[in-house]
Amino acid sequence: MARKRKKNQEAEVEANLLPVMNIMFLLIPALLMAMEFASMAAINVSPPKFAAQANDKKVDKKEEKPLDLKVFIMEDGYRVSAQGQQEGADAGKEADSSRPTIPLANQSAPIDDYERYDYAALEAKAKEYKALFPHEVTVKLSAESNVPMQVLVGTMDALAGRTCKIGKTLKSGEQPPEDCYFWQPIVEAGAG
Amino acid sequence: MTPEQQAFQAKKKAKAAARRNKEEEEAKLGMTSLMDIVSIIVIYLLKSYASDPVVINPTAGQKIPMSQADAGLSDGMPIFVTPQGVTFQDKKLVTLTPDGDIDPGMVENHLVGPLYDAMAEEVDKAKQMAENQNREWEGNLIVVGDQRLKFSTLVDIMYTAGRAEFSNYTFCVIRRSG
Repeated sequence: MARKRKKNQEAEVEANLLPVMNIMFLLIPALLMAMEFASMAAINVSPPKFAAQANDKKVDKKEEKPLDLKVFIMEDGYRVSAQGQQEGADAGKEADSSRPTIPLANQSAPIDDYERYDYAALEAKAKEYKALFPHEVTVKLSAESNVPMQVLVGTMDALAGRTCKIGKTLKSGEQPPEDCYFWQPIVEAGAG
Repeated sequence: MTPEQQAFQAKKKAKAAARRNKEEEEAKLGMTSLMDIVSIIVIYLLKSYASDPVVINPTAGQKIPMSQADAGLSDGMPIFVTPQGVTFQDKKLVTLTPDGDIDPGMVENHLVGPLYDAMAEEVDKAKQMAENQNREWEGNLIVVGDQRLKFSTLVDIMYTAGRAEFSNYTFCVIRRSG
């Protein structure tokens, strides 16, 4: 009897790993299919608002003239206007189509060079306006027809503040961080 | 045959017979190391599992714009716009010219006909589904564009989407690290 017990104790128990391996090998292609190769993010773009909605807001702000910040992306730079007045326009003129407010950072670069725009200067301008109008978050964006989407997105980044991290704030409903300027772009067509 | 050769053959036969009678050895595969490797791969893949509600698989040759934006993608219908064409609900509906403009035969007053038809149909379906589930249809459109996409083309697509009752637009971008 004692000999039999000893024999049982010595018997090596081996786990059958094959079913586990089968599951693991099935999991690998399934996970590869759902894998995130590049981290995706979203920029929420508001459709253009109607005049009636804009008037409703005016009542709350005790007749304070809204900023109405507009940025028009041209092939030779940015045209920035606020409160219906283009910055850098000649005296007495609302707009001046002959020259941009913020010229290109690199004048000789081709149109497909997305870094030729002066994003830093635009961001500085957005910061100035934000200091004057701390409650404003929207900006109207428009561009010439040949302007590539990457430039539009880069412009949105500059206007929002390139260090602005608003994702978590939007989810939790907290106040946006101080380094977020105009993070709600409205894309308009042909609003030069 | 010489006696030596006969002896050699006999010895050879005896060896063969011994080999035949011998029990076959069971070949054992070392599973532990393989399990380790596979477990590490599975954990790595689980870590990089896409947690967004919409999985965006860019089409071949598409260069999604890069951005500093950090907001996650919310649920919505994706539309893929590349310099070759516009794909909605896995159907390539619109072709673009080599200059990056929408085929002039397909667009009229900024409205892209085939895209509008497909969008209107999908919107009807989505609205009906939302109604059955007692929730409001949000009308979210995710524009998966291309870095080279012209502004005029983008505006035509957004205008068409607006006419098809999409009210919220999201630009899908690749998060720039650092």
